[in-house]
Amino acid sequence: MDLSKLLSNDPLLRAGLSAAAVIFVDLCALVILIAASRERRHSDRRWAHENRGFMLACGENLYPLGAAEIVIGRHPSADIRFRDGEISRFHAILTLSAGNWQIEDLSGNGVTVNGRRIDAPCILHRNDVIGIGRRKLTVIRGKKG
Amino acid sequence: MKKSLSHPFLLLLILIAHAAMLLLVVFSFGLTPDAVELASAVLLFDFIGFIFLQFVHREACTVDSVLLLVLGMSTIYQSCFGGLTFAKKHFIFAVAAFVICQFTYLLVRNPYRAEKMKPLWYLMFIGLVGAIFFLTGSRGIWIDLGFITLQPSEFVKPVFVLICASSIRTQLHKHTLLGFHYVPDNLALLACTAVIAGLQWYCRDLGSLPTFVAAAGCGLMLRFRYLREKISLRLVIFLCLCVCGTAAAAWHLAPAYVQERLHSDIWADMSGSGYQQVKALTAIAEGGWFGKGAGSGTLIHVAASRTDIVFSAICEEWGLFTGLMTVILVLFLPASLLAVPPRSYYHSGLAVGVAAVFMVQMTLNVFGSCNLIPFTGVTIPFISQGGSSMLSSGILAGFLKAAQAPVLTGGNTAAETEGGR
Amino acid sequence: MAKQKTDSDYTPQLDVSAPRSMRVAGRVTSLLLAAFLIGLFYLAYVLVSHSPFYMSKSGATGYGTVYDRTGDVLFDGTKPLSSYPAGQFADVGNLIGDASGQMANTLVGRNLSRLANYNFLYGKEQGQVSLHTTLSHKANKAVYWKLGKKNGTVIACNWKTGELLCCVSKPCVDIAKGYDNIDALPENSLLCKAFYPTVPGSTQKVSTLAAAYEKLGVSAVNQMQFSCTGTWINAKGQAIKCHEAKGHGTQTLTQAFRNSCNPFFAQLVQSAKLPLSAVIETYTRMGYSVNGAKADSMSLDGITIAPASTTLTDAKDFDTQWGCLGQGTTLVSPYQLMLWECAIANGTGTAQKPYLISSRTDVDGKYSPVHSAGKTDGFFSAETAKAIQAVMTENARTQYSYSLGKYTCGVKSGTAQVEQNGKAYENSLLAGFCLDEKCPVAFCVVIEERVNGELTTAQLTKTLLDALSGINSQK
Repeated sequence: MDLSKLLSNDPLLRAGLSAAAVIFVDLCALVILIAASRERRHSDRRWAHENRGFMLACGENLYPLGAAEIVIGRHPSADIRFRDGEISRFHAILTLSAGNWQIEDLSGNGVTVNGRRIDAPCILHRNDVIGIGRRKLTVIRGKKG
Repeated sequence: MKKSLSHPFLLLLILIAHAAMLLLVVFSFGLTPDAVELASAVLLFDFIGFIFLQFVHREACTVDSVLLLVLGMSTIYQSCFGGLTFAKKHFIFAVAAFVICQFTYLLVRNPYRAEKMKPLWYLMFIGLVGAIFFLTGSRGIWIDLGFITLQPSEFVKPVFVLICASSIRTQLHKHTLLGFHYVPDNLALLACTAVIAGLQWYCRDLGSLPTFVAAAGCGLMLRFRYLREKISLRLVIFLCLCVCGTAAAAWHLAPAYVQERLHSDIWADMSGSGYQQVKALTAIAEGGWFGKGAGSGTLIHVAASRTDIVFSAICEEWGLFTGLMTVILVLFLPASLLAVPPRSYYHSGLAVGVAAVFMVQMTLNVFGSCNLIPFTGVTIPFISQGGSSMLSSGILAGFLKAAQAPVLTGGNTAAETEGGR
Repeated sequence: MAKQKTDSDYTPQLDVSAPRSMRVAGRVTSLLLAAFLIGLFYLAYVLVSHSPFYMSKSGATGYGTVYDRTGDVLFDGTKPLSSYPAGQFADVGNLIGDASGQMANTLVGRNLSRLANYNFLYGKEQGQVSLHTTLSHKANKAVYWKLGKKNGTVIACNWKTGELLCCVSKPCVDIAKGYDNIDALPENSLLCKAFYPTVPGSTQKVSTLAAAYEKLGVSAVNQMQFSCTGTWINAKGQAIKCHEAKGHGTQTLTQAFRNSCNPFFAQLVQSAKLPLSAVIETYTRMGYSVNGAKADSMSLDGITIAPASTTLTDAKDFDTQWGCLGQGTTLVSPYQLMLWECAIANGTGTAQKPYLISSRTDVDGKYSPVHSAGKTDGFFSAETAKAIQAVMTENARTQYSYSLGKYTCGVKSGTAQVEQNGKAYENSLLAGFCLDEKCPVAFCVVIEERVNGELTTAQLTKTLLDALSGINSQK
């Protein structure tokens, strides 16, 4: 084929064509980057569906449940942090599994759900009240309207 | 969930990019049957992938679209080395990798289920290690099944990543023995790492050890980070010194065949031990920025040109620019974590493990073949030829996908009922 | 206690971003990514900048041209060398070398990557790389043909600037003829003997004199007198013979230097005033490896030159005295002899480092000058340099005014007794310098297996100086 002969004889043409092909690949990469950044919003929305819209409310404060595991405690790495003396560093953990949020007492210092102390993982329902120390957290769906 | 990303546009672009590369191939070789076969295979794969993503499954599109792009490119690369022959086997494995990625996603998209299956992962790990230990003949690392040769050490990687990841609940359940607090899961991870190291030592194949060590290191680091006890500067310095000391000791105490690799000067032995690297570097230099053109490479005559020194082979035919671009594209897979953070600790561990494995593999391959670090025979995920490597990379990509689109619903939705009062 | 708010007070939330603790994975990944990307850019840089090296090392590229100071071709990688007139490369083969890899320690052999006709953007064989050298091909040819049937080596440089002007080593391979008859080539055809240590003979007395000047001071040494009766018996009862069987009688230093009197210098070495440690110290400063001590090898645009070496153990012993007279285990390369002459000629005790490549034109045709290599470490003090210069000039004036003609020179001759391959012969050496403004040249000339009546080193030096005279205006 004439074209292939031309291509092998002219290094400049070869480089140009090769560059053109790469430019398309680069363009793809760029668009993938843009798509990825849009996917973050998509994923946030997706998560809101995944966690069934559950949040914790404590007085005026709202705590969204942005991950499948939420640690409540006094420790700086806890997701929901209370600096009360009677709350352990890792006091309780909220987990989402099979579509249900459960709470589990990690420290043995006592977690109550609707006033009853739990000794095993307990599934949470809407409007349940979790007691940790003297804090009362209400399970709600959605944010303040 | 209706409002989706610009999937059609993105997939069209991937199609165009592949078409441009294929056009270049056709320009160089003419419309030979092989060219037609290659073009139709790649474009058909794109199209089916497009249909699948558009209508069947629309989650975590970054991973899937990068996979589509990279797999197509790698098929084109592999088909063109030193002349056009459609790399049928490579293409089949590429498709298989894409499919296995989806299945892995289905398997591990629920972090709880995935972690509950951990005993199974340990079993698989033991099984694979046993297979390497007992089945492979004379310290080789291949199992010949007749129609296909498997490299079980490749499949250890995804299993090991599954072991490396751990949820915070597991970490918070400490056991006490003789006054020591410990987490059984962490001990198991350390034991597995030791087993892997011992096995690699026994097999005289220390090349992929850094991959496992990096995955284990990242797994352990994440575990410490979860429960960030106050990490003092002194502890950090102490740990750094420990790592440096271990590295130095390993450097000096490494067996003779490793020492040889560490201290060899490829330019002093250009026809002997340095042959591959000398050829690889020369090929990159000959290729220049834009390459010699598809199919005009000469590196194909050098051993492992499709696997260990594949970066140089790509650079020779397509140019350094394309070579670097390809490597960066593969990096997009772990980098997608930055855009979409995982939602559970187990998935975090998986994702970071995959990132570590991918990046260490590419570092060893690319930098090793270019003589910046000792040369080891590891593969670039998705680019190098080799069924086992391709499939295990597909599984790893599935983990990434799972981390970005976890599914925790399903089963009963009892919580819908109002509790409390 | 306030009434607990219930669900009905809230509207469903549409998006929930991940909590801080979940970003750890991203942070670790971005760290890994950043490290990898930095590495990747470094890799690209290394690949691009080293690519000429890779190409030249693996012999995958063509090479450019090497020119002498007037534009005469010394090596051409762009076309067959046989297309040049016969004998074009006959005198420079083992200095300039070629890309065949047969001769590593040559200009081309050591600078292959600088001469590679290659560019990362254009690919290979596209450009016109060239190296311009300071060599005078005219002088080289003149000296080469003047040697006639004799073998030997001549090296000369400009002691003001360090430009290497002439370097001949005969026998010499003709790179245009190739290496098909490599076994039939005379011995040492493939290496430039100017860069390899040889027995220096009496030219060594310059070093010994330098040691004496450094330790005792110029006037004290100049006032010294020793007598020579033809044979002198040292403290251990060993005899040192003079080449003049009758002896030279009582001489001053200048006379002894002129006579090249062995007994005089042997007595100087043995004398209690000049401790052996002082000799060793000066020798070491001058670059000798004394008694196996490590000395730096020298480099001329990548060509390596082994350092001089000698063994000095006991000032009263024959071997040590013999070593200080330039025999025994003492070995010095003509290059290094020339280097010391540079330091003497400029009267500072420090030489301008010689260089061969003056500029380079790269593939794009971009011209870039190569600056001189700087100065050497001080060999000896300026007073010593000036005093030796005076002694050597006096020597040339009285002994060589006829054979060297109009040039104002300083020289020291030497006769080296060499035993090699069971054959004993004498090499004739002449190291020195020319002080003339038009010809600031330091040189070392060696004629091998010279017998009386043949070409003298002084005649060869005259040829060299004639060819180099006015060299600065030849450019």
